[in-house]
Amino acid sequence: MKSFTSVFSGIIIAIFFLGSSAIYIVDERQQAILFQLGEVIDVKIDPGLYFKIPIAQNVRFFEKRILTMDTEEPERFITSEKKNVLVDLFVKWRIVDVKQYYISVRGDEGLAQTRLAQTINASIRDEFGNRTVHDVVSGERDVIMEIMRQKADNDARSIGVEVVDVRLKRVDLPQEVSESVYRRMEAERKRVANELRSTGAAESEKIRADADKQREIILAEAYREAQKTMGDGDSQAAAIYAAAFQKDSEFYAFWRSIDAYKQSFKNKGDMMVLEPTSDFFKYLKNPAVSK
Amino acid sequence: MGLNDPQWGKNKGDSGPPDLDDVLRNFNKKINDMFGQKKSGGGGDDGPRTQGSKPQSNGSIILILGLLVVVWLGSGFYIVDEGHRGVVLRFGQYVDTSSAGLRWHFPYPVERVEVVNVSQVRTVEIGYRNNVRSKVLREALMLTDDENIIDIQFAVQYILNDPENFLFKNRNPDEAVLQAAETAIRQVIGKSKMDFVLYEGREQVAANATQLMQKILDRYEIGILISRVTMQNAQPPEQVQAAFDDAVKAGQDRERQKNEGQAYANDVIPRAAGNAARLIQESEGYKQRVIVSAEGDASRFEQILTEYSKAPNVTRERLYLDMMQQVLSNTSKIVVDQKNGNNLLYLPLDKLINISGSTSVSPATTSPAVQETTPDSSLRARESFRSREREIR
Repeated sequence: MKSFTSVFSGIIIAIFFLGSSAIYIVDERQQAILFQLGEVIDVKIDPGLYFKIPIAQNVRFFEKRILTMDTEEPERFITSEKKNVLVDLFVKWRIVDVKQYYISVRGDEGLAQTRLAQTINASIRDEFGNRTVHDVVSGERDVIMEIMRQKADNDARSIGVEVVDVRLKRVDLPQEVSESVYRRMEAERKRVANELRSTGAAESEKIRADADKQREIILAEAYREAQKTMGDGDSQAAAIYAAAFQKDSEFYAFWRSIDAYKQSFKNKGDMMVLEPTSDFFKYLKNPAVSK
Repeated sequence: MGLNDPQWGKNKGDSGPPDLDDVLRNFNKKINDMFGQKKSGGGGDDGPRTQGSKPQSNGSIILILGLLVVVWLGSGFYIVDEGHRGVVLRFGQYVDTSSAGLRWHFPYPVERVEVVNVSQVRTVEIGYRNNVRSKVLREALMLTDDENIIDIQFAVQYILNDPENFLFKNRNPDEAVLQAAETAIRQVIGKSKMDFVLYEGREQVAANATQLMQKILDRYEIGILISRVTMQNAQPPEQVQAAFDDAVKAGQDRERQKNEGQAYANDVIPRAAGNAARLIQESEGYKQRVIVSAEGDASRFEQILTEYSKAPNVTRERLYLDMMQQVLSNTSKIVVDQKNGNNLLYLPLDKLINISGSTSVSPATTSPAVQETTPDSSLRARESFRSREREIR
């Protein structure tokens, strides 16, 4: 019985090994090529469990997911106005025809990426060479990316690859040019600053001048009003005086003169040189004098 | 759960152990055979102990195998935490996505589960790492539409919304987010003017970038939802920072100057208005004064005139004498008889003036108003008093 057990377990192990080389699993992320003595006999794209003949057949797996080619260092390209720009981009690609892919690049991702890089490099030169920096950076960025994607895709189909997307990551100016951009930005800010300051001064002056003007107007108007009022008062007063004094103008002259004399001589310092013959002194000389 | 090694099936599919299907089938057959054998041998569970060596060894094999099967089936249990999803693959093929809880799948090697976190908010940072101060200038400096360069940092937050796509459609999806973020933000910045990015349009830029990023990622069917793009910092580059600061200062200066001008205006105009009001009030006062005093003068004159007309000569004489008395009492007098032809009379007028002036001139100069009004009013008062006296008489 011991021998049966060992034989049994031996068989199990043998089946295990045989079975393990007779089946293979293709994952969701993979696709597979089945080779028979070096010849491609089947392509498995759908995931699942598959069988093969052990030893005679073998399987190679390839990515089904989207892969990325990302350039490490940005490269220089020249635009239509002969300016250098540094371009950094990435490419999203996917194996769509695994047999073709295997035949063309021996299933080597590195090789496939080199191939893609060459195509894209050439198309960037074409596209950038016809455009200005401004177009590349903002205006036609989408267009360029789409053109490059199409070109790259057309080319990549021959190696069984679909280019899903080509995207410009960075489009920068080289260091030397950046410096001059900084200088320009500085100058521009200086311009803005000066403009702000001078308009500030101008507005301030305007406000002051306007205030001065308003002051003059206000005072002048007030003066006008005041003069009017005073004139009004004067005229009314004159009318009152005239109405009263007309009643006896001769007496008014006398009475007013008396008042004036009183006002004129009120200090000891005032001096009068009188004639003794004046009418005032008539009783001084002769108390009997009568009219 | 160690059997759910995620590495499994990736590379070693052809050499690895995914062969148990056959083994299983054989195994089941064997077990059935053995049970059949055992039953014919009249064995129970306790058979192995009582019977001979042959059934005993058979029985122990069965027991061991049965145990193995139980253990094997038990290894199919797994727990999905809240906020996670278990993606079940049967022979490499996607079959199901399980939500949180205790779950079971056909054990290795038939089915595998990959658990992904779908609720966790993941972040990528562009232009900096960990701290906004630790800038990565290579990423941070960007060209704008008006060919200026700005220094910008932002963070992208995203979650998985489709675990299957996340697992199966892209190699290294997290890196894809970073790439999409960088290209999207650069595209948006590249289409915007510098001032727009720096000042008024920050939110707009972030919103546009989010949209574009999502569009790119959807194209890759990546199973990721961009939840937020936040601009951490957007500034002019360090090289021109000083100039920008100065421009901001200039803006402040402008405001300051305007305010100063306004302050001047606010000082001058109300003051002028006050002065104007004073002028007008004064004129009004003058007018009233003039009119009222005219009325007063007129009234006084009219009153005296009434009395005068009753006895003109007497009144006239009295007024004259009154006046002369007052005038002469207040002045220095020199009476000179000119008719005697004493033309050579010499009067030291200046001395006379000085003598008399020293006493009475000084008060006249110190308080002219008093000097002017008091004698006047007292005089008038006296006058009116007298005339009243006369009337009574």
